[in-house]
Amino acid sequence: MSDITFGYLLLAIGIGSVLGAVYAITSHVSVSAARPRPPRGVHLPNPSALPVIIAVGGALLGAGLAFRADNQLANPLLAVPGLLIFVAAVVAWVRAAGREWDETEGGSHDDVPGH
Amino acid sequence: MSAEAPLMHTASEPAVSHREAGMPTPLVGMLLFIASEVMFFGGLFASYFNARAVHIGVWAPPPPAQELEILPIALPITIILVASSFTMQFGVWAIRRGDQRAMRNWTLLTLLLGLTFLLGQIFDYTTLGFGIRDGAFGTVFYTLTGFHGAHVFGGAVGLTILAARASQGQFSQQNHVAVEAISFYWHFVDVVWIALFSTLYFLR
Repeated sequence: MSDITFGYLLLAIGIGSVLGAVYAITSHVSVSAARPRPPRGVHLPNPSALPVIIAVGGALLGAGLAFRADNQLANPLLAVPGLLIFVAAVVAWVRAAGREWDETEGGSHDDVPGH
Repeated sequence: MSAEAPLMHTASEPAVSHREAGMPTPLVGMLLFIASEVMFFGGLFASYFNARAVHIGVWAPPPPAQELEILPIALPITIILVASSFTMQFGVWAIRRGDQRAMRNWTLLTLLLGLTFLLGQIFDYTTLGFGIRDGAFGTVFYTLTGFHGAHVFGGAVGLTILAARASQGQFSQQNHVAVEAISFYWHFVDVVWIALFSTLYFLR
């Protein structure tokens, strides 16, 4: 088996592993099938620097894949920090969205009767 | 006065919910996302035609690789991906009828077809005889098909989430906006591949 074939085999195994993990995690999240009722009022997400940080992480990651030595998959000095920044910012953004949704459902702001 | 009565509502019970007032927000978000993806792939196609224009007469896979052929892999996986759009839509129609079990089964079949496409594409890569670093053709070919493959993988993640949620009984005839949104995305990925396949394999 050549190195390239082995690499693609690893890729296929990775795809299956990720989908299996997604299925397992999603199966433990409880959501009602009832039609959701959005909270009253107009709700906008808070300003956030996270999209910019995600873009910076993505740019570093891309630069790490582009500016590399011939025998490297990626430049670790660029790609590793880029990947860490990217993943951390995505996680932080998802968590922030969850908190904002909880606050909105709790009606802690902009919940004026007749609004 | 009586005509205005339906418009009156209390603090705890709005007369008209946001969902009933227009397109569900997740669908709007998905359409905006797809719009951005159209621009993204537009840029990739532009790079393809630009590279092709500056390599007139020599636009082909680098030797010793052969010309791209639609058989034995490219055409079958194209048919598989197109078929997966139909199975996805059958799933949407099933949940619109309230048949969650059929929707889950159609979604799982769509996922299987999508994964078959991905594995077929990976196998195709091993047989092409050139790599991403072999000239402009190799770079553009792998960039276009690779990014499309990444989008198919993203769709597969979405389908996996749909299947898991359907297994938990989280969709109904009234609440299945996630199914509609993922189906939009899957059809988009399918259309992009048809454009890619036509451009890469038929435009000589």
